[in-house]
Amino acid sequence: MTNQDARTDLGLIRIHRNVIASISSLAAMEVEGVKRVGSDLAGKVFSFFGKTIAHSIKVEFDKNDEVRIDIPLIIKYGYNIPEVSSKVQENIRTALDKMSNLTIKDINISVRGIEHGGQE
Amino acid sequence: MRFFTVLGIIFYALVLIIVGLGLIGFSLMFSMETSPIQPQDINNMLMYFQSNTSARIIVFLSGILLILISMSFAQIILGRFQRERTIAFKTGSGEVTVSLSAIEDLIKRLTGIMPEIKELRPHVVATKKGIVVDLRVVLRSEANIPELTARLQEITRSKIQEVLGIEEQIIIGIHIVKIISLEDKKKKESQSYEPPIPFGGYSR
Repeated sequence: MTNQDARTDLGLIRIHRNVIASISSLAAMEVEGVKRVGSDLAGKVFSFFGKTIAHSIKVEFDKNDEVRIDIPLIIKYGYNIPEVSSKVQENIRTALDKMSNLTIKDINISVRGIEHGGQE
Repeated sequence: MRFFTVLGIIFYALVLIIVGLGLIGFSLMFSMETSPIQPQDINNMLMYFQSNTSARIIVFLSGILLILISMSFAQIILGRFQRERTIAFKTGSGEVTVSLSAIEDLIKRLTGIMPEIKELRPHVVATKKGIVVDLRVVLRSEANIPELTARLQEITRSKIQEVLGIEEQIIIGIHIVKIISLEDKKKKESQSYEPPIPFGGYSR
């Protein structure tokens, strides 16, 4: 299954998983301490082929139509990783709740690197 | 997954043993005049594969199969290594995994804090005992080694604890690989200096 389906009186509404990935990416970037979404290598490969960074975010739907999101992050140097990760998870959950009616099961964060650009 | 890994290891071991035995057999048999396999036999076999279309197809498919098996096992093994090089903790919304290379990046940034350190190459491993950090350091000659290493251990430990927010034991080992003297630096600078060519700047 590639899309999240919802039926209304007028027809079917489908939310593609790339949309969920894009919302997650934008929500993650809003949090202070996040340098960027995606790992170093994946980011370079995707930008080389003209793809957006949302492709590095993994979105899965389980049997109960619950969403599981795996998001790789690069955190700014000087920020507390658990704190930033927790804020990112909360922000993604809020954004997805607001923009879609999806049931979110897990938002898994993978911190792939630390870069300059934060509190020194 | 474990079954496939064991299968892969057995497969590779068998292939390598067969190749090894083949090479040993090749070297021993051709030394004897009454060898059961003559070079002509191998030549005939190759000629047969070249002339027979179905045999060539079988060889081609076997080659592809071997490549696919190798690639899938390489992926499994690399994936396992990648998975092992992380620290994970759970939060209310899901799991957070921190790549150990991210912690290595963090430690590398410490060179900016300590001017006595010329270069810092960290290697971080997560074990049952805790986080083991191995630091390979290149120092400048003016540094006091016991004082500097103690300070480096303390800063590294506090930085990891501060950033990760963990209470696990952090074991820090320091290995000084090189000490750069000021004389070396001056010598390098003088070697790189080239005297200016007279009237070199004038041209048409």
